[in-house]
Amino acid sequence: MSAAIQAHDLVHSFGEVEAVRGVSLKVQEGEIYGFLGPNGAGKSTTVRILTTLLAPTGGSGMVLGHDVAADRTTVRRLIGVALQEAGLDPKQTGRELLTLQGRLYGLRGSVLTGQVAEVTELVGLADALDRRIQTYSGGMKRRLDLASALLHRPRVLFLDEPTTGLDPLSRALIWDRIRELRERFGATIFLTTQYLEEADELADQVAIIDQGRIVREGTPAALKAEVGADVIDVGVDERECGAARVAILEMQSGGELPAGELRGTGTGYTLFVPEGPRNIAVLIRGLDKAGIRFGAVSVSRPTLDDVFLAATGGRMAAAAERADSDEQERVPEPAGRSAP
Amino acid sequence: MTAASVADEARTLAAPAGWVADVAAITGRAVRGILREPELFLFALIIPVFFFVVQVGALGDLARRSMGISSYAAFQLPIAILFAAASTSGGNALVLDIANGYWDKLSVTPVHRSALVVGTLFGELFAVLSYSLVLLVFGWVIGVRFAGNEVVGALGLLGLTLLFGVGFAAVSIAVALATGSVRATQSTFIIFFPLLFLTPSALPRDQMTGWFDTVVSLNPITYVVEAARSFLSGIDVLVIARGALAALLFSTLTFGLTALAFRRRVRMG
Repeated sequence: MSAAIQAHDLVHSFGEVEAVRGVSLKVQEGEIYGFLGPNGAGKSTTVRILTTLLAPTGGSGMVLGHDVAADRTTVRRLIGVALQEAGLDPKQTGRELLTLQGRLYGLRGSVLTGQVAEVTELVGLADALDRRIQTYSGGMKRRLDLASALLHRPRVLFLDEPTTGLDPLSRALIWDRIRELRERFGATIFLTTQYLEEADELADQVAIIDQGRIVREGTPAALKAEVGADVIDVGVDERECGAARVAILEMQSGGELPAGELRGTGTGYTLFVPEGPRNIAVLIRGLDKAGIRFGAVSVSRPTLDDVFLAATGGRMAAAAERADSDEQERVPEPAGRSAP
Repeated sequence: MTAASVADEARTLAAPAGWVADVAAITGRAVRGILREPELFLFALIIPVFFFVVQVGALGDLARRSMGISSYAAFQLPIAILFAAASTSGGNALVLDIANGYWDKLSVTPVHRSALVVGTLFGELFAVLSYSLVLLVFGWVIGVRFAGNEVVGALGLLGLTLLFGVGFAAVSIAVALATGSVRATQSTFIIFFPLLFLTPSALPRDQMTGWFDTVVSLNPITYVVEAARSFLSGIDVLVIARGALAALLFSTLTFGLTALAFRRRVRMG
């Protein structure tokens, strides 16, 4: 298996603001690569560099062996791109937009008509194809954008936050299509997302990016295993909270339960310990023995948010808020400035 | 699905389209966009027609009596046509593409970058041609006739108007590319007022004196206006050649600005 996408120490600065600070990554052919991070982490800037829209101020990027700065035209033929802001001409119909897009990729005649039919079928837009785009809902626009990125059967597909702002139904539909694309066409998919479950559901490999740097990379399972603990949630009545806390801490100090972080959740406690399924039984027995009335108890594997927490010391939601407040001081990204 | 068929299907269908095909595709889209906004079309025609009617109504008799202009309508029609030709919206369409991200969407395709601008300019040519034809028919209906052969006169006037109009459209396209700002692009309309009204728009140059005469003589559009009139009032090859040269120089200058702005826009980073 060879690398479909490679980045080596990519850097991009907007004036004094370094949006990307040395990103290196390798995506194998046929892989779905999840690029996970909060708003403002540098995801879109990395995508703009890898899709030839923006020149890196340092480092290099390759798509299927072609340099994204030096061999832009070849790269553009090989990739399909659905950008975060689905910029679609509202005055055209879906069919006109797809036909124009296909022509620019050199598709003609029956191949073009065939491809338009195939991609609209794939994203479930066949019925709306002859309507003006201004009448489309947000979800339909995303699907049309996805369809237009697929017309020329790209070997590498870049999807920049394909489901941000979509309702759960539209999101599930896009997820299905992404899986189908890989299965049917063996396409390599580079997917940026700020949704943990999206990276978890879809990606073979995940890179977590924060403040312009990749802080963790691996399969979702391996990343979560790195956290080294399972998550046990126990619901406790407010009046019994203090007693429950004492009981759990005693179990830990007495060696019945392994050491691990204990956090109050307002409705009970969350305990981070290894071997969750075995220790949940220990916990239940211990609480029962102490005469504490408890509610629902559950054990779960750590999420990618726990991985993010371990890597950066903060939750993703908090990082996104921090990025939003930084944003006001930042030089805005020049929209539409592109490479020749 | 076997590994071999996956590999086959994995091959991309993209192929080089060629510059001409790229320009044709972008032009087609620009023309569709123009046809789908008939209100802009009407707006571009209403104001020149209004000015034309007011000028001819107010000054027609005076012009005949004191300036010896037999048909003030024929004297004013080229102004209305050039006015409409300067009301195109190519820069506006382009700057909206830049603002809403469609420019980026087109830019990640292998399209020749210059085709994005040239196709937009061809769309503007279509708009200028449409406006001019409507106004020529309007003039014909109210009795304005060409001096020599009608077909030669009409083609000559259209050719000159297209050359001027596309040059004018290039200004707003240059501003759109350079700034990416919707407001700045819309404001380029303002430069049209000195360019078109510091000319012999209301009375012939030989009736002018003082600073106004000097400014008018320095404005290249003055010669475009005089050449356009020459097709209606009496063909003067020298005046027409001088006007065509002025329109050509004006358009060359504005194309140069567009090319600079284009390079700035597509420069990496």
